[in-house]
Amino acid sequence: MGLNLETQIGKIQLKNPVLVASGTFGHAKEFAPLIDLKKLGGIVTKTITLKPRLGNPPTRIVETPSGMLNAIGLQNPGVEKFIEEKLPYFRKLKIPIIVSAMAYTVEEFAEVVKILDREDGIDGFELNLSCPNVSYGTKSGSARMFAHDEKMIEEVVGAVRKVTSKTLIAKLGPDVSDIARMAMAAERGGADAVALINTFTAMVIDLKTRKPVLANKTGGLSGPCVRPIAVRMTWDVCRQTKIPVMGIGGIMNANDALEFLVAGAKAIQVGTANFVNPNASIEILEGIQAFMKKNKISNIQEIIGSVKNT
Amino acid sequence: MFKERCVIEENKKIAPGHYSIRLRSSKISKKSKPGQFVQVLCSDSYEPLLPRPFSFLDVDKNSFSFLYQVVGKGTKILSALKRGDEVSILGPLGQGFSLKNAKSIVLVGGGVGIPPLYHWAKECVTKLKVSAKNIHVFLGARDKSLLLCEKEFKKLGVHFYAATDNGSRGHKGFVTELVGEHLDRTTSVGGKNSAPDVVRMYTCGPTPMLKAVSALAKKYDVSCEVSVEVPMACGFGACLGCAIKVKKDDGHRFAIACCEGPVFQAKEILWD
Ligand SMILES: Cc1cc2nc3c(=O)[nH]c(=O)nc-3n(C[C@H](O)[C@H](O)[C@H](O)COP(=O)(O)OP(=O)(O)OC[C@H]3O[C@@H](n4cnc5c(N)ncnc54)[C@H](O)[C@@H]3O)c2cc1C
Ligand SMILES: Cc1cc2nc3c(=O)[nH]c(=O)nc-3n(C[C@H](O)[C@H](O)[C@H](O)COP(=O)(O)O)c2cc1C
Repeated sequence: MGLNLETQIGKIQLKNPVLVASGTFGHAKEFAPLIDLKKLGGIVTKTITLKPRLGNPPTRIVETPSGMLNAIGLQNPGVEKFIEEKLPYFRKLKIPIIVSAMAYTVEEFAEVVKILDREDGIDGFELNLSCPNVSYGTKSGSARMFAHDEKMIEEVVGAVRKVTSKTLIAKLGPDVSDIARMAMAAERGGADAVALINTFTAMVIDLKTRKPVLANKTGGLSGPCVRPIAVRMTWDVCRQTKIPVMGIGGIMNANDALEFLVAGAKAIQVGTANFVNPNASIEILEGIQAFMKKNKISNIQEIIGSVKNT
Repeated sequence: MFKERCVIEENKKIAPGHYSIRLRSSKISKKSKPGQFVQVLCSDSYEPLLPRPFSFLDVDKNSFSFLYQVVGKGTKILSALKRGDEVSILGPLGQGFSLKNAKSIVLVGGGVGIPPLYHWAKECVTKLKVSAKNIHVFLGARDKSLLLCEKEFKKLGVHFYAATDNGSRGHKGFVTELVGEHLDRTTSVGGKNSAPDVVRMYTCGPTPMLKAVSALAKKYDVSCEVSVEVPMACGFGACLGCAIKVKKDDGHRFAIACCEGPVFQAKEILWD
C-alpha cells in the first residue's frame, strides 16, 4: 500500500509531518553521522538573533522527573555568521528549512527576518516569541515575553509579515491562561501557522545550598512530563483557529506524535527526545508509517484532526 | 560516533560503591581515544530520561569498559544489570587527551576521574612508546580502597604516588601537595632542575582538584590538560547544555564541553 504522509504548513509542502524542534537539533550536522537527515519532514534551526549571543553561564541544564530544565540563553552566532557558516550546510540537505528567529523589539524582529529573507535555502520563519531564558529588557525593566501578550503577538507578527512572503510561523509559549487567544492573535497578525508549545518556565532548588540549580535561576521545562498539557493546548488551538498548528512537547515516540496529529496538528516537532535518542525523529516517522499500515490508512490527512469530541 | 545496543560482558563491583562494566562493540572500541566518553541510556523507560556520560577505562578489539560510582538513579540501575543484558550506548564522544613532545608526564587523578587517566597512561606506554619511567601518577582519595586502578597503574610500571584523606595509604592530605613537591623538584621554575621544562600534566577528578592542579600548572609554567565534568544532556553538541567558561581574546565565551572537550587546556578555562 502506498502511503501518503504529505502535509502542508503555509506555503511549505512537507513530505511527512515529522520535523525537529528549535534548539534541540544543533545545526543538524551533529546528527549526520547517526541519521539520514534527508528523511526528515523538515528542520527548525536553533533560534537566531541579530547579534551573537554568548548564552547563559553554567549550570544550564538539570534533569527532572520525566523531563529537563534548560536555560541555554539562546547561545547563537548571530544572523550574519549563521548565514555565512551554518546556512550552507542546511541548504545542501534539500529538505524544508525553517529558521527560528528571535528579537527584543518589534523592529528588530523585522530586521532579522528581512536579512534572512534575502537568502536562498530558507523555506520559512518560526518566530520564537516564547523563550523563557532571556530577559526582554523592556523600558520598565521588567521582562516581558511577546507570547504573553495578544497585542504584542499581533503587532510583531504583523511587522514581520510585511518583510517576508515566506511561510511565517509564530511559536507560542504555554505560560498563558488561554493559549487559543494567543494563537488567534498570531492569525490576525498574518501568521501562516502556529507552533506550540515552547517550554514551561520552571525551577529546581538545590536543598544543600538553597540556591536554584540553574545559574539563570529559572529554566524551561520540556520532555515527556509536558506532553499531556501540550496535547490539550494543541487540541484547544486547533478548534479555534483556521491556520495550521505544529504540535510540540514531549514527543518521544510515534504514539505520542499521533496524539498531536489526531488532536489536529498538521505536523509535529521532536525536541528533547533528540537528546535521549538521536534517532528518535526517524523512528517516530517509521512508527507513524507502521501505524498507518496496520490501520489501513493510506493518507495522513485521515488521521489529522480525527479526534472524536463526543 | 555510533549508536549501538551493546551486550554487557561483565559488570562487577571493584570497590565500595564502584563498579567496572565491560560492553561489547568493536565499532566503538576501535574509534575510542583516551579522554573520550560514551553516553549510556540507563533505562529505556524515560526515567531517568537523559543518558549518562562515562569515560573510557580501557578498550580492546571487541569491547570497551568504564568504571562508575553509584551516586544516583542512573548508576543504581546500571549496577543491577547483569552479563548478557543490553544497554544503548552512544560514542565515542568528545575530544580526548593529546601528547606533544614531553619528557615527563604527570597524571593527577581523583575519584572517578582516575579511569580516563589510566586509559591514557596505558595508551602512552603501549602505543605512543612513552617510557613508563617518565610517567608519574598521582592519585588522591578518601581511603585507600578508593585509589581506583592502583594495581593497573603499577602493572604499567609507572611511578606511583598516593594521597588519602585518612592516611590509610601514602601521604595524608591532598594529592596536590605531592604534585607541588614533584614539580618543585623537576621543573626549572622549581629551581632545582636546569633542564628545559618538558613536563606535561593531565588531570581529571573533582572540580576543586582540577582548579588546584591548574594553579600548579600556572605556577610551574607547565602545560596541562584538564578533563572537566559538567552536567550534560545530549553529549554531542546538540543542546548546548554543558557550557564551560573559557578565554576568548580579552573576554570569555562558553565552550561546549561535550564536543569541544571534555579535555581542555588548563590555561583556557576561566574558573569562577
Ligand atoms: C565527560 C564525563 C565523564 C564522566 N565519566 C565518569 C566516569 O568515568 N565514572 C563515573 O562514575 N562518573 C563519570 N561521570 C559522572 C557521571 O556521569 C555521573 O555520576 C552520572 O551521570 C550520575 O548519574 P545518576 O543517575 O546515577 O545520578 P543522578 O541521579 O543524576 O545524580 C545523583 C546525585 O549526584 C549529583 N550529580 C549527578 N551528576 C553529577 C556530576 N556530573 N557531577 C557532580 N555531581 C553530579 C546530582 O546532583 C545528585 O545529587 C562523568 C561525567 C562527565 C560529564
Ligand atoms: C536545550 C533546549 C534548547 C531549546 N532551544 C530553543 C530555541 O532556541 N528556540 C526555541 O524556539 N525553542 C527552543 N527549545 C524549545 C523546544 O524547541 C521545544 O519547544 C520544547 O522543548 C518542547 O518540546 P519537547 O518537550 O519535545 O522538548 C529548546 C528546548 C531545549 C530542551
